[in-house]
Amino acid sequence: MLDRSIAERRLTGEPAVLAERRQAGLAAFEASAMPTQADERWKYIDLDFTIDDLTLPDVAGAELAAPIGVERVSARVVDGFVSITGDAPGGVRMGTFAELAGDDGELFGRVVAERSDDIFLAGNAAFSGDGLFVQVSRNTVVADPIVIDVQSVSAGTISFPHIAIALDDNAQASVVLLFRSSEAELAVAPVVESTLGSGARLFMTSVQTWGRNTQGLGYQRVRLGRDASMKMGEVGLGGALGRLDLSVDLDGDGSSYLLNGLSFGDGQQVLDYRMVLNHRGRNTSSDVLLKGAVEDQAESIFTGLLRIEEQATNTSAFENNRNLVLSAGAKAQSVPNLEILCDDVVCGHGSTVGPLEEEHLYYLASRGIGRERAERVLVKGFFDEVIDKLPAQAVAGPVRDEVERKFVAAQEAGRLG
Amino acid sequence: MNLALEIIDLHASVGEVEILKGLSLEVPFGQIHAIMGPNGSGKSTLCHVLAGKEVYTVTGQARLDGRDLLGEPTDVRARMGLIQGFQYPVEIRGVKLIDFLREAADESGIEAAEVERRIVASGDQFDMTRFLTRSVNQDLSGGEKKRSEIFQMAILQPKVAILDEIDSGLDIDAVREVAEAVEAMRGPDVGILIITHYSRILRYLTTDRIHVMMEGRIVESGGAELATELEAGGYEALRSRLK
Repeated sequence: MLDRSIAERRLTGEPAVLAERRQAGLAAFEASAMPTQADERWKYIDLDFTIDDLTLPDVAGAELAAPIGVERVSARVVDGFVSITGDAPGGVRMGTFAELAGDDGELFGRVVAERSDDIFLAGNAAFSGDGLFVQVSRNTVVADPIVIDVQSVSAGTISFPHIAIALDDNAQASVVLLFRSSEAELAVAPVVESTLGSGARLFMTSVQTWGRNTQGLGYQRVRLGRDASMKMGEVGLGGALGRLDLSVDLDGDGSSYLLNGLSFGDGQQVLDYRMVLNHRGRNTSSDVLLKGAVEDQAESIFTGLLRIEEQATNTSAFENNRNLVLSAGAKAQSVPNLEILCDDVVCGHGSTVGPLEEEHLYYLASRGIGRERAERVLVKGFFDEVIDKLPAQAVAGPVRDEVERKFVAAQEAGRLG
Repeated sequence: MNLALEIIDLHASVGEVEILKGLSLEVPFGQIHAIMGPNGSGKSTLCHVLAGKEVYTVTGQARLDGRDLLGEPTDVRARMGLIQGFQYPVEIRGVKLIDFLREAADESGIEAAEVERRIVASGDQFDMTRFLTRSVNQDLSGGEKKRSEIFQMAILQPKVAILDEIDSGLDIDAVREVAEAVEAMRGPDVGILIITHYSRILRYLTTDRIHVMMEGRIVESGGAELATELEAGGYEALRSRLK
């Protein structure tokens, strides 16, 4: 049972905008129930835990070992509690929500959304520990990546990390988000919001390697101003459940969004991607490519919606979801949708679900490559297409290794086919 | 001295339908042979059967450098030294040509340093260097795809190279380029068999012997004059002469 008094205690002494937000979140939380499959947004997954069986972490638990592939962590969010671990690069301001809300309530209101449309978002608003705020000031180009290490470690808890990234006009930055957790049974519902001003450019790489007993319910919200552009890499490898609910608002004229993502599910993992891209400005473009593999009894879901508003003339929008189903017991569902209210658009969507192609295997065999190696080469190639495009190439090596490890384990256990 | 490729009384069928009906053929090392034949004569089936595609019921013999090919799976045949160039090479998105070649060469036991040396030398020779870090066959023109097939052979150095419909779909410049690439592959340790239904590529290539295939067997073998005869009178004229 979540202890409501924790929210009450936290909001005491918080700046008004933050306290009000908590209060509203708490009210929404009290009015919410666990989602069921009757709800369109949760149609494809059967949540096998209930929030009432969990508790809230009151302090940060013991940190995990240092992550692989990144040199310097800028901020850590452990069980929802923020610690800034190094000096921010010039032109970058980092702090907690309380600090931001105290300094600049207007900015806080602009970059932290009022969103409580399900129990986890409401819970996040009500119970979030600190909230991490990253602001890159106008015209600043940050060379080094800002690495944020999000960890959930305490058994039996649900934690609510919340990160707001704001790029002022013409700012440019690269952010690496690591989502990790212990092997304990726990849940985590992180919310990441990115708000880009005019002409801002954000390169984001998000790598999810939750522990095997984690119920991960992630949310990402992106708002793009005029001529703003975001390139995102998304990696989903861990969790009993690894869900990402992504919504991108291309509000500004000339804004663009590019996503290259991959997931690999094994065992009984469920990896659920839900994406809504709202094209609202004129001359906007988006391109989404998500590739997934499932083996053993794992399941993946892709639900994508491209929505082009009536005034969004000269839009270009593409979404592609490609799935490799490697074992008989594994399952991939792909549901791409278009909702086009404007006729001046170039749009495309596609999805594929199937095993490795025999024609490809035959071509490799014709060059002397035996079946096992051919399968490895093809799976590696399948993922390399997106791994090569992750904005933070420093994490590409570890991601490639983990994907290969998963595949070789399946191959050695004879689970393919 | 063994022959590079020796085929004796080869029969192949799919279900009840017999496609190869007792085909015999010899390709010595160091030579380039061409098989010509009309559509439906079984040329592509011959390629598939030699490469070990699994849909056929096969009898007869096929030997590569004296070793039996039939019964071995495709990858083993390739490692024995039989490499086929496809009529329509498949595009493999994400697998870079250079990685693909390294994997294939490693599987065949070619030393890594030697592989790199060949990649540099042949990449230059066949103008393939700029394609090395691109996906295998992806977005290549017809001629580039054929050149890529020959480039791969230059790395793997087969004992028998079979090029299926080597000039189909190519414009005249590309045909000449591909012919030059085949000519460049000629050597004492390889027997080359090209398969075509047009004679035009033979204008740019010195073939040691031409074989005409009809209804699943070789009906006539000869020198360059055979191509000239076919060019003049087509397969019908040849068919009449043979009757």
